Amino acid sequence: MTALFEEFDDIADLALGLDDPSPGTRIMAVIDLADSADPAAIPYLTLATSDPDAGVRKQAALALTSFDGPMTAAALVIALSDTDPAVREAAALSLTELKDPKAGDAILPHLGHSDEFKLLSCFAGIKELRRAEAMAPAITAFSHSSPVVRVQAVGVVGWLQDDTSLTALREAAMDSDPAVRRAALAALGFSKSDTAQQALIDALKDPEWLVREAAAETLAKSGSASCVPALRSVLTDDFWQVRLKAVRSLGKLGATEAAMQIGPMMDLDVPNLRKECAAVLGELAVPETRAFLLPFENDTDPDVRKNVRWALGRIDKAAA
Amino acid sequence: MPLAQTATSVPVTVNKDLCIADKGCTVCVDVCPLDVLRIAVTDDGTKTAYMKYDECWYCMPCEADCPTGAVTVNLPYLLK
Repeated sequence: MTALFEEFDDIADLALGLDDPSPGTRIMAVIDLADSADPAAIPYLTLATSDPDAGVRKQAALALTSFDGPMTAAALVIALSDTDPAVREAAALSLTELKDPKAGDAILPHLGHSDEFKLLSCFAGIKELRRAEAMAPAITAFSHSSPVVRVQAVGVVGWLQDDTSLTALREAAMDSDPAVRRAALAALGFSKSDTAQQALIDALKDPEWLVREAAAETLAKSGSASCVPALRSVLTDDFWQVRLKAVRSLGKLGATEAAMQIGPMMDLDVPNLRKECAAVLGELAVPETRAFLLPFENDTDPDVRKNVRWALGRIDKAAA
Repeated sequence: MPLAQTATSVPVTVNKDLCIADKGCTVCVDVCPLDVLRIAVTDDGTKTAYMKYDECWYCMPCEADCPTGAVTVNLPYLLK
């Protein structure tokens, strides 16, 4: 009797191509094995990551993106030490695609590696796997000499969302590198504790506007009514990007007392900021701010017009 | 006045020495969203990819995904 479906157990047949003397054929075998989506292909792809041809090794590292689990992670971690930079980059990229927390078993032993690239790739790989064991090595890496490694380490701790890391994150928020400070402040968003809030309030005075922007934005998540005065103080920041995040956070915190300070900001020649101010004024619905919104009912920017009209509608509804 | 009826150059060029279409590779043909690439049999009997229709969007996956780096997309100056 003819089978209804074709027998499809030919992973070993596909893998035969890996023994071909031509690198082109071996690359095609790797592509075919990846397309099979069968986990049985993982051992063969692992073998291909030690092929003599760099092109085959790179393709194998890319092909492992289609799979998950400890075996895939182990092969990728080894490929991070490849002699060819393209293979290392491909392996680092595939590591960040892992989703199975068990895959972290293969990455965890390398979180103290001396090679900078390997260390930062391992941190980037373990981040979304949210393995609690990664916390200690990540906090240790907060004092690593490379800021790129420190940013990744902060990311790992941020994803773990554990209150015990607050002190370390607060210290990272005072790092010498602005990118690390920014990452640390964003990472504090999970906590509503006083420590997180105070670190964010302090960062509103940072000399780098990108850091102030991150602090103003994250205060919407971590902050409470007590941080409203600090947010109001950055409504006069030199950078409109910082003002925009502060306005948005004040809106999310329902800071009606700031409405009369946000109202005059509608005059500014930055449509992005006007749009945000209008939205927040609508959110706060303070009747006295109606006069600030009215002149912009027919603003040149369609987004501003839309938000102003919506805000006026809300204020009128609240007053009725 | 003579009119040029055929294009003399196309944006996507393929290095025949690197192309492994002969081994069954069709990656660039598969990823092209405009389906303008094809596999051709060359004079010496081997296969290679080439641009059949000059309708390129310059979206680049053919160059990025080529496993041997054989594909080059020549971006026009104004797109750079």
